[in-house]
Amino acid sequence: MAKQFGVNDAALDGLKDPGRHPFPPDQKAALLFADAMTEGPGHVPEPIYADLRRHFSEAQTVEIACVVGLFNYFNRFNNALHVEVTLTDPDVLLRRVEEAAVAGGPVVDFCDRVADILHQGRRYLRVGIYRRDKDGLVLRAWRGTAPPPESLRLGEGDAGAAAQTGATRASGPRLVVPVLAGSAVAGVVEVEGDRPAAIEDEDRSLVERVAALLVSRLT
Amino acid sequence: MGRLSRLRPDQVGADIRTLFETFLRERGNIPNMFRTAAHRPEILATMLSHFRTVMGPGAVPVALKEMLAVRVSRINSCDY
Repeated sequence: MAKQFGVNDAALDGLKDPGRHPFPPDQKAALLFADAMTEGPGHVPEPIYADLRRHFSEAQTVEIACVVGLFNYFNRFNNALHVEVTLTDPDVLLRRVEEAAVAGGPVVDFCDRVADILHQGRRYLRVGIYRRDKDGLVLRAWRGTAPPPESLRLGEGDAGAAAQTGATRASGPRLVVPVLAGSAVAGVVEVEGDRPAAIEDEDRSLVERVAALLVSRLT
Repeated sequence: MGRLSRLRPDQVGADIRTLFETFLRERGNIPNMFRTAAHRPEILATMLSHFRTVMGPGAVPVALKEMLAVRVSRINSCDY
């Protein structure tokens, strides 16, 4: 959600350790206040409070404390009751992919958008979209914590095997769906969930339908 | 698996169903937390109202509030 409100990737990455990231002074003051209010019983030390008040009015301070308090409430509710992360409905994601396909533009940008839609919507750990070339598979787009291999030979790994056989492969948390142009393989879409049972029937159906939409752009 | 069941739109009263349908239209899902809290509709209604008032346009930029939400959720090991 944060990205929709103009928080860029660098800032999101900086949120892993706000003390070390070059946030503007007002944002840093609010973030360090959030840390102090969230850790332990929330007795915010005076210097951290004073720095917050250098940048924010009383009304703004109330609002910031409410945001921090609200998310501590929601997080604890979810953690205590094991409320699972909400995934976006596959039909909604498919519509977003269709809209991106209609919008046109460079193939790489389209693949990038598709990877983003799958990664954000289903919270996959990794998404990779490969295009078939004469020697094997070439990575066109990816999302996740670490980049997948730039290229794969046919038969190499799950993605290479799916490219070779033209059949969907599901093993543990990983699902690989070939992009089929008739009987020829034009590429593959690979997704990986965060646990062995993460891939459900609706994921398989979603990725297969996405692969069908990729055909015209990968051939 | 969640410890409590999550209610679907067809399992809640008309007021909450309207709220659920707004979520579906605006963001493509109904957050599982709200589907869980729907077991107590009056609490869910004020929870949502408070959430919108706190996180919507106010005295502090919405982007900063989103960053605070991400940071707090990160500290609490909760995916937001």
